[in-house]
Amino acid sequence: MSQAANPKPSLLASLMAFPATIWDSIFRNPVPSNDLERSATTFTNFFLHIHPVKVHKNSLRPAYTLGLGLISFWLFLILIVSGILLMFYYVPSTTQAYDRMLDLRGTVAFGNILRNMHRWSAHAMVAVVFMHLCRVFLTGAYKKPREFNWVVGVILFLLTLFMSFTGYLLPWDQLAFWAITVGTAIAGYVPVMGKSIQFLLMGGTSVGQEALLRFYVLHVAVLPAVLMLMVGIHFWRIRKDGGLSRPADADATPDMVMVDPSKAVLEPRKTYGIQGLVRGPLTKVGQIPDNTVYSWPNLFIAELFTFVITLSVILVVSLLFGAPLEEPVNVMHPPNPAKAPWYFLGLQEMVSYSAFWGGVGVPTLFVLGLILTPYMDRSPGGVGKWFSRDRLLANTLFLTFVIANVIFVIIGTFFRGPNWAFVAPW
Amino acid sequence: MTVNLKRTSRAGSDAEPISRRKLLGWITGVGLVGSAGLSAISNFVFIKPRATYGAPQRFSIGKPDGFPPGTRVTLENRRICVIREGDRLAAVSTTCTHLGCIVGLSDTGFACPCHGSRFDTDGKVTGGPAPRALPWYKLSLAPNGELEVDKDTEVQPGVYLSL
Repeated sequence: MSQAANPKPSLLASLMAFPATIWDSIFRNPVPSNDLERSATTFTNFFLHIHPVKVHKNSLRPAYTLGLGLISFWLFLILIVSGILLMFYYVPSTTQAYDRMLDLRGTVAFGNILRNMHRWSAHAMVAVVFMHLCRVFLTGAYKKPREFNWVVGVILFLLTLFMSFTGYLLPWDQLAFWAITVGTAIAGYVPVMGKSIQFLLMGGTSVGQEALLRFYVLHVAVLPAVLMLMVGIHFWRIRKDGGLSRPADADATPDMVMVDPSKAVLEPRKTYGIQGLVRGPLTKVGQIPDNTVYSWPNLFIAELFTFVITLSVILVVSLLFGAPLEEPVNVMHPPNPAKAPWYFLGLQEMVSYSAFWGGVGVPTLFVLGLILTPYMDRSPGGVGKWFSRDRLLANTLFLTFVIANVIFVIIGTFFRGPNWAFVAPW
Repeated sequence: MTVNLKRTSRAGSDAEPISRRKLLGWITGVGLVGSAGLSAISNFVFIKPRATYGAPQRFSIGKPDGFPPGTRVTLENRRICVIREGDRLAAVSTTCTHLGCIVGLSDTGFACPCHGSRFDTDGKVTGGPAPRALPWYKLSLAPNGELEVDKDTEVQPGVYLSL
């Protein structure tokens, strides 16, 4: 270029160099047109460098991952964007919050669809994060060296539930008020610290203005910050733990046999690397089956595809179905029956037998069991395969818990009527 | 003081004197961790409110004439049920002892809409997950002739105020 020759380019020359000079300063690489350039871009771009340059074919099999982790992340992204937009109109005040819901529904441009998107994405995220947890368990993907990332994942699942729990006080409708009254009362059953936790959560002795403000701060600042940090750690650990789990035979290498160096016939005046003493293929490069493909385009296309599908489904659902909004809070009359959202109905069903065991004891044992799973089940077999024979016992135990909870959810949703009495849904 | 040029071993056997560097390191570490712990505790002290804005716990519910004999009426904003049998009066809590929902009057006493706890007319648990009976509150006749409820003081179930 002429610029390189001229140590002091004229103003005109600088103007003529626009916008290429700006592009270069931001991206360093030209728009890539071959695998090498695409690799360089993947490596140097801030948003892309979270990916490896090459990714194992097994990680791209839709039937293996079902894309559930990615979908969870895309839902989280939709929730962040729609949530920030909703914050422009929301006031965490007991006298204004409900009116603001009506404003969103009635007067704010796109207010209704944004609220619908936020609500349905939240429901979907709880479901998809849980399905992702099931996928990882059923394929044995939590095993060494991914034990810690499994723990991070369990924490992310709990954070997701807590996000949704703090979120549904905010509309200040009947469901909100009574669900939080019940939820904080469950916290009160925690041994020793229960009453303190309950008092700290509500900022008082009953659910009121202080509780609304506290839940708002938790929902829009504290929990998202923690969640983002944990998501960052979760993604970083995927890379550091060697990518997604895969079956042991996915990385087969041909046999190589060392020969005794003293018996090797060496040519004089020639230096040999260690590879020179290996019989058979002299070097691994190009000799072993390469099971990896370039992230660009293979992985990126898959990510874009799941994002488009996720966003489309949420958009269509939000256009068709309005987010529920019940009557404004009436602190004197709980709705009858007072039901939590579906994903907490299993808990509510258990709580209706015993507040301590249903609300604190069993959930704590379940979470502890999940967290300790990779440290108790240390056999290396069955990784990277759905429903592996080697993991019959672990999978059966896990599915028993999952199905039990699903049954509780179904009972709570369809078979409970006024005063939480059994009713037939038909 | 002489400077010890020999590197102290990492394991630090018992006989070996603690080097100045190690001691200063420990003091700094304890100081930093201690300050972090204190900051964390002060955060919790900060978010624990000293004053709350709840409803008053002692309040008047009007003259006894407002509750004719045979009355069983809930005062919803006070979360109590006033019972009058003849000349005896009582105030029973309507906050469910299970998880804090408000129980409603039913044919057999009280019933909770949230998790199905049931109580008899005296507030004793007859079914569902509630761990305790509904508490009875102290009811007294103020000098001005009005009934006063004190929700901070519980009385034994069955203890009525006789007019």
